[in-house]
Amino acid sequence: MLNDITLGQYFPINSPIHRLDPRTKLLLLVLLIVAIFLADSALTCGLVTLLTLTIALLSRVSLKTYIRGLKPILFVIIFTAILNIFLTTGTKIELFGYQTPITVEGLILAGKMALRLVLLIFASSALTYTTSPIALTDGIEKLLSPFAKLGLPTFELAMMMSIAIRFIPTLIEETDKIMKAQKARGADFESGSLIRRVKALAPMLIPLFISAFRRADDLAVAMESRCYQGGSLRTRLNEIHFAGIDLIAACIFLVVFAAVMVLRFFL
Amino acid sequence: MSIEISGLNYVYMEGSPFEKQALKNVSLSIADGEFVGIIGHTGSGKSTLIQHLNGLLKPSSGTITIGGEDITAKGADMKKLRQKVGLVFQYPEHQLFEETVYKDISYGPKNMNLPQDEIDERVQEAMHHVGLSEKYMNRSPFELSGGQKRRVAIAGVLAMRPDVLILDEPAAGLDPAGREEILTQIRALYLERKMTVLFVSHSMEDVARIAGRIIVMNKGAVALDGKPADIFAQADALRAMGLDVPQITELICELRRRGIRFDNSIYTIEKAKATIQLMLAGKNAGGDKPC
Repeated sequence: MLNDITLGQYFPINSPIHRLDPRTKLLLLVLLIVAIFLADSALTCGLVTLLTLTIALLSRVSLKTYIRGLKPILFVIIFTAILNIFLTTGTKIELFGYQTPITVEGLILAGKMALRLVLLIFASSALTYTTSPIALTDGIEKLLSPFAKLGLPTFELAMMMSIAIRFIPTLIEETDKIMKAQKARGADFESGSLIRRVKALAPMLIPLFISAFRRADDLAVAMESRCYQGGSLRTRLNEIHFAGIDLIAACIFLVVFAAVMVLRFFL
Repeated sequence: MSIEISGLNYVYMEGSPFEKQALKNVSLSIADGEFVGIIGHTGSGKSTLIQHLNGLLKPSSGTITIGGEDITAKGADMKKLRQKVGLVFQYPEHQLFEETVYKDISYGPKNMNLPQDEIDERVQEAMHHVGLSEKYMNRSPFELSGGQKRRVAIAGVLAMRPDVLILDEPAAGLDPAGREEILTQIRALYLERKMTVLFVSHSMEDVARIAGRIIVMNKGAVALDGKPADIFAQADALRAMGLDVPQITELICELRRRGIRFDNSIYTIEKAKATIQLMLAGKNAGGDKPC
């Protein structure tokens, strides 16, 4: 039952988007999100939609997967759309001779908000689908490195993030195993009142915590026995580098971003 | 309780890029009261197979009948099934959670809604079966040694009084003495309770010693199935699957290669000792087929 969770969600395939430097992807994602929220007219909306869809297609991850990613926030999209439809003031629409509380402006605004949310999910999914968690933390660490001079422990933060990410699948596996073992002893996690169900979790959570602590302890000992020391003196196995493809991607994004800015503020 | 498996297939994470067929057309029939050893390389499908037997995994296709009841049918009673089929996972001590040994062992019987005196009786019986003295009853399971924890966990399954007992690597990670004890206790339990036992292991020595029948899994399918003597006679086939024959079989093979006439069905140290003594006394131990 825990197989459905695709955490990390990284698809280990090869595509132009996969090959981009994680830093490029992070920065361009921020740029794209700003553009998505500034896009207002049909032309600018079309422009950011086109760019987002192009990225999705270039990533070679099926569009179905992207659409499945919308599921968790479907409620939010529908809810904001309904609020916008009914609560925007403007020209009321007449239907069968009755005046409805729906306004033309409301419909347009609802459509725009829904589009923005969908594009937002698509764009950020494109990042997690095409970047391995390790590459992502490497990218974040590099981007934060200027702040290290100000005393921000960037290396330690990145290390903590990589370890946390690294242990997510392990802990999911462990949870699955413990659940099965307790089920084999007649445990029932799925029926009964809420209180009963919460109580039924103890036989699962206690062993899970114990094993998490044991693993943390083992890892600490393993790191220490290999003389682990954080900080700037460490070299890494996989250095990340900007390449030509990053320049091309940056140019395309900047052109679209500039176009959206110009259309929004100067025309 | 007999087990019938026919045409069992299981595919992990169907429809995702990580799809993997873990079981391929497995058909087996295990009679009531058999002691079956299941061996196979890591990833051969042993663990997947046994999880099907108490309904923790649902087959992608195929049927499983236990004690005449089709457990793959829609609406099959899983709770009842799990009382009949006890499954002890690998490293079962990792699933301990209660404050006292007594409470942990009684978790299964409690889930069966048994009366208190029946629970008491079952806990005592289960502790006796795994050789835990009653003075441990009110201790915390977390302060016990590794071997003792393992026994508490096994007792937790035995307390449900299953008709079929499945053990996944019950001796893994124990020292030789602890290993010996657990295996002896399982054997004694089998003889006393007349249950059907499935014993998963990748130690040839252990399986050779206690199982009456051996099933060898390879790449999700049943590769070999038969009496220990017949299985270990196929040393080359086993090696090709990344498995080893017991060391004593290896020794006998080597002696045969050097021209000493030995029966090739020797796979326990006791039998080898008896045969060698016979030979030293000047009698022919029989057997002349090549190893």
